Amino acid sequence: MDDRLTKKKGIKQYFMQRPHLIFLMPTTIILAILVIIPTVFLYYISMTDYELGYNLLKAEFVGFENYIRLFSGKDAVFWHSVWISLLFMLATTSIELVLGYLTASLLNLKEFKLKGLVFGWLIIPIAMTPSITGQIWKLIMNAEYGLLNHILEIVFGTKITWLGAEMAFLSIIIIDIWQWTPYMALIIYAGLRSIPAEPYESARVDGANILQKFRYITIPLLKPLLILVVLFRGMDSLKLFDIPYVLTQGGPGNATELMSLHIFRLGFAQTGFIGRAAAMSVVLLLTITFLSQFILKYFRNERGRAQ
Amino acid sequence: MMKTNKKIKTALGNALYTLGITIICMICVFPFLWMVSISLKTKAQSYDPSIWFFTPTFENYIRIFQDRGIAKFLLNSSIVAVGTTLISLILGSLTAYYLARFEFKRKEDLAFWYLSLRMLPPMAAVLPFFVMVSLLKVFDTHLVLIICYMLFNIPFTIWMMRSFFEEIPKELEESAQVDGCTFVQRIYKIVLPIAMPGMIATAIFCIIQSWNEFVFALFLTANKASTLPTTVQNFLSVSGVMWGEMSAVGVVSTAPMIIFAIIVQKQMIRGLTFGAVKG
Repeated sequence: MDDRLTKKKGIKQYFMQRPHLIFLMPTTIILAILVIIPTVFLYYISMTDYELGYNLLKAEFVGFENYIRLFSGKDAVFWHSVWISLLFMLATTSIELVLGYLTASLLNLKEFKLKGLVFGWLIIPIAMTPSITGQIWKLIMNAEYGLLNHILEIVFGTKITWLGAEMAFLSIIIIDIWQWTPYMALIIYAGLRSIPAEPYESARVDGANILQKFRYITIPLLKPLLILVVLFRGMDSLKLFDIPYVLTQGGPGNATELMSLHIFRLGFAQTGFIGRAAAMSVVLLLTITFLSQFILKYFRNERGRAQ
Repeated sequence: MMKTNKKIKTALGNALYTLGITIICMICVFPFLWMVSISLKTKAQSYDPSIWFFTPTFENYIRIFQDRGIAKFLLNSSIVAVGTTLISLILGSLTAYYLARFEFKRKEDLAFWYLSLRMLPPMAAVLPFFVMVSLLKVFDTHLVLIICYMLFNIPFTIWMMRSFFEEIPKELEESAQVDGCTFVQRIYKIVLPIAMPGMIATAIFCIIQSWNEFVFALFLTANKASTLPTTVQNFLSVSGVMWGEMSAVGVVSTAPMIIFAIIVQKQMIRGLTFGAVKG
C-alpha cells in the first residue's frame, strides 16, 4: 500500500517537474506525425510512376522524371497554372486589401446604432460554406437564367458568358473578392480603432494633409496587421481549391486551372497519375512554404518590435 | 467638428453614407438571400430570375431529407466537427497555457511552427493522406477526417487560447498559490472559469472551419462518412441541375454556421487573425 502510494507520488512528481511532457508533447508529437509522415510519403510518391488503382508496391521508382516533365514544358499546363495562380493571388489580395481598407475607413468614419448589425452581415460571406458559395454563384452567373445576366440585360441590354473561357478566370476573382473583402474590412477596422487619437491631433496641428497622415501615421501603425492579413489572404488564395472546383473544375479548357486544380486534374480527374500529381503537390507545397516563411519572418520582426 | 458645415450638406452626407453602407451590406448578404429564395421556389420558378414574389413551397426541403438522405450528411458533419473540435480544444489549450505561462528556449520558434501549419495547402496534403488511408483500409471513416482536421484546428486553438490565457493576470494565479491551491486546483478554479468564454468561442470557430472544410472531405470519403459540403458533387451534373434542392441543402448547411458566426461576433476579429489581433 505504502509502496504504491510513493510510486504514484513519484510519477506525479516526475511530471510536475517536467510540465512540458504534458503540455507540449502531445500536440507537438501529433502534429509532427501528421506533417512529417505524409510529407515524406508525398516526396516518395512524387518519384514513382504510381497510378490510381494500381498496386503502390509495384510502382516503379523514376527519380526526378515527374519533376522534369513539369518544368521542361512537356506538361503544357504546368507553367500556365503556376502563372495564373500567382496572378490570382496578387490580384485578389491587392484588390481585397484596397477595397477592405476603404470599407473599413467608411465604417470608421461615423458611429451609428446599427453597426453591430452591419458587422453581422459582413460576416456572412466568410462564414458560408465555400463549396455551397461556389454553387450559388454558379447559378447567379449562369449565362441563360442567371440573375446577374438578367440584371445586365435589363440595365445594359447585354449578356456576359461569365463562366465561358474568356471570363471564367475573372469570375473566380470577382467571387473571391466578394467573399474576402469583408474579412479585410473587419480586421482593418479593428486596427483603425486601436490607433490612438494623439498622433493624428499633433499631425493636424502641424498641418499635415490626409495623404501625409495616411502615409506617416496610419500605415506604420497598421503595418503588423496588414502584413498578417496579406499573409493569410495571399496564402489562402494560392491554395484555393473549392470555389473554382465547384464553378468550373479548372475549365473551360484550362482557363481556371490553378495549381490545386492542376493537382486534381492530374491525380483524380480522368487520368489517375498520382505520381505526377504528387510532384505537382510538392511544387505547390514548396512555393507556399517559401512565400509564407518569408512573410512570417517579416511579421515576426514587426510583432517583436511592437511588443 | 461637423457643426460648422451647413445642415443640408450634413443631411446629404448622412444619406450618402447610409446608402453606401446599405449597398455594401446588400452585396454581402445577397447571394445567401438569393439561395434562400431559390430553395423556396418550384423547379420551373428556379429557372426564371425575373420572379421576385411567389408563394413559398417547402417541397425542396422535404425532398432533400426524404430522397437525398441529407440527414446522414448532417450527422456526419456533426460527428466530425464535434469530434475534432473536442480533441483539438483539449490538446491545444494545454499547449496554449504552457506557451502563455512558461518561458523556454525557442518558444517563439515553436509557436511560429504551429502558425506555419495554417498555410499548408490542403490539395497538396490530401494526396499522401489519400494513398495512406487507402493502404490502411480506413478510407471513408469519420476518424480519418477527425484526425486530418486536427492539422488545422490544433494550431488554431493554440494561438487563440494563448491570447486568451495571456490576458488572465498572473497575480491571480500567484495569490491562489499563496492561499495553498495546488496547480491542478488553480487551473480548475481560476484559469478555466475565466478562460471559458474564450474556449467556447474557439470551439465555435473550430466547428465552423471543420464543417466548411471541403478538400479532405471530398477525397477521403465516398459515402459513409461524407460531410455536407461534399454534397455539391451530386449537383455538378451538366444537364438539369436541381437548383431548388441544391439551395435547400445550401441553406441547411450554411445557416447553422452563420448563426454560430453571429454568436461569436465579438471574438470574430481574434478568430480571423489566429488570435493576433484582439479586436
